[in-house]
Amino acid sequence: MGRVIEVKGLTKRYGGVLAVSDLSFTVRPGHVTGFLGPNGAGKSTTLRMILGLNRPTAGSATVHGVPFPAHRAGLRHVGALLDAGDAHPGRSAAAHLTALARSNALPRRRVDEVLHEVGLAGAARRRVGGFSLGMRQRLGIASALLGDPPVLLFDEPVNGLDPEGVRWVRGLFRRLAAEGRTVLVSSHLMSEMENTADRLVVIGRGELIADESLAEFAARGAHGSVTVRTPQAAALAAALAEAGAEVRPADAALLTVRGLTAARVGELAHARGIPLHELTPEASTLEDAFMQLTTDRAEYQAGERP
Amino acid sequence: MTAPAASRLAGPRRPEGPGRPAGPTGEPGARLRDLLAAEWTKLWSLPSNRRLLGLGVLLMLGLTAQSSLDAYRGWPGLDSDQRAHFDPMAEAFSGAGMALLMIGSGSLGALAIVGEYATGLIRTTLTAVPARTRVMAAKAAVLTAVTLVAGTAVSLGTFLLSQAILSRRGIGLGLADPGVGRVLAANALLAPVSALVGLGVGVVLRHTAGAVVGTCALLVVVPGFFKPGVHQWANELYALFPSYAWRNCLGLRHPPHSEALPTVAGSWFAYALWAVLALLATLLVIRRRDL
Repeated sequence: MGRVIEVKGLTKRYGGVLAVSDLSFTVRPGHVTGFLGPNGAGKSTTLRMILGLNRPTAGSATVHGVPFPAHRAGLRHVGALLDAGDAHPGRSAAAHLTALARSNALPRRRVDEVLHEVGLAGAARRRVGGFSLGMRQRLGIASALLGDPPVLLFDEPVNGLDPEGVRWVRGLFRRLAAEGRTVLVSSHLMSEMENTADRLVVIGRGELIADESLAEFAARGAHGSVTVRTPQAAALAAALAEAGAEVRPADAALLTVRGLTAARVGELAHARGIPLHELTPEASTLEDAFMQLTTDRAEYQAGERP
Repeated sequence: MTAPAASRLAGPRRPEGPGRPAGPTGEPGARLRDLLAAEWTKLWSLPSNRRLLGLGVLLMLGLTAQSSLDAYRGWPGLDSDQRAHFDPMAEAFSGAGMALLMIGSGSLGALAIVGEYATGLIRTTLTAVPARTRVMAAKAAVLTAVTLVAGTAVSLGTFLLSQAILSRRGIGLGLADPGVGRVLAANALLAPVSALVGLGVGVVLRHTAGAVVGTCALLVVVPGFFKPGVHQWANELYALFPSYAWRNCLGLRHPPHSEALPTVAGSWFAYALWAVLALLATLLVIRRRDL
């Protein structure tokens, strides 16, 4: 039961634009796998190819060893939230889910169960057109859960959710993974994945950047820096540079130091009798690692590129 | 809005994986019956569809009542020549009725699919059931059944209403009169044929306004300009359009015999041709497109 979703050499070309390029990765059960990349990196296109909605230019994607379209009752195999529910605004939430349940011969009670599960039981009879973005995300999650599937795909599920909803959805993903399911969650924000994902698949401009555990990914990030404030900045900068550190003055009295721990900076200052007003270690974050790896591969960036 | 623990997903998940590959056969669900039920739920759960069907039938009955009452009042003033040319069936279901029924049904068919494209629902639908051809076949079947019922209601309802009014002048017709049954069938079948054409145009164009306008143009507006003429090839081309065939043959109790005009058999063929071509376009195009 190692590899539930297997993507091999997946490529998608739209006219002259290469949206996804020779992408290969696997997603395993029992984990929440974060699918990360800047806007336009090809995440949605990849998910749609896994679901057979878009036809790959080359390569393949399989779920449990077969292409997903070979499954007849799709909801029983893979639950997916693609774009804020993808529902007709004129229908009620209950009618939307009822039609889906019927198409897969699922019992009627599943509709009530999933509406309850996502907290929309009170809005079951209301038209989807009157829903907020957060409510439509919940409806999309409800439709993904409808068939009680072993594999779940969520494309940017956190968009539009309030803080309470974000916390709820994280708990839901972790629980689904703990039940042994395979959970793939896409996002363009590292911070969303930090407390949710165990593994990461990171892409940029349609190419694979990383496919590893969260810890391994974090280790790739910039090494920590130390911020130090002193009235004798020039003297301290010279001393630290002598000890092999990379020193950047932030202002007349503030230095950013890389390559030395906060303790070593303090000792060096003490040895030379330089007073310190502040000494702060700045941990490297996943966000740093993500930014560093993807900045040069972002599709859209503010300002002109050199 | 936190989900209570009681509503957790039912139990441990089913055994699945390489050991039990889920092949396209032998697995439960996605039987045609389930797909028909799903498509019926989709069609009937949209208030706009129920309004279109309900108000459409009422509107056509209203128009029939009005024109039949006008004929009832005007009858004593007609001279014998006018009386000889009076067709009681035209009061029940005229060319305007034909156009309305075709536009209404065609729009219902087009909206059944462009409504899914425009809202993204098509992705949800085809993720739930990846067998695209079966999904569209079920959608076409449900549309055909619903519009056949609505078309029959309009055809029979307008006839019975109109003849009830006209019979008071002794000029009404009965269901058993010659030609009546065929005209009523031709009136009713305009609805499912138009709905299938709307569905086909909708799948091809995927754009709401474009599909509705395209369907109306193809079914009613363009053939409205056709007139029998001296070029036989043009006459034969015109005869392939259902509304032209209805106007010049199937909608008439006693269709005139002429080389330039469609025959009864040829007109039924035109109906069938459009229904079949629209269905084929629907099933073929849906297979090829990215969503």
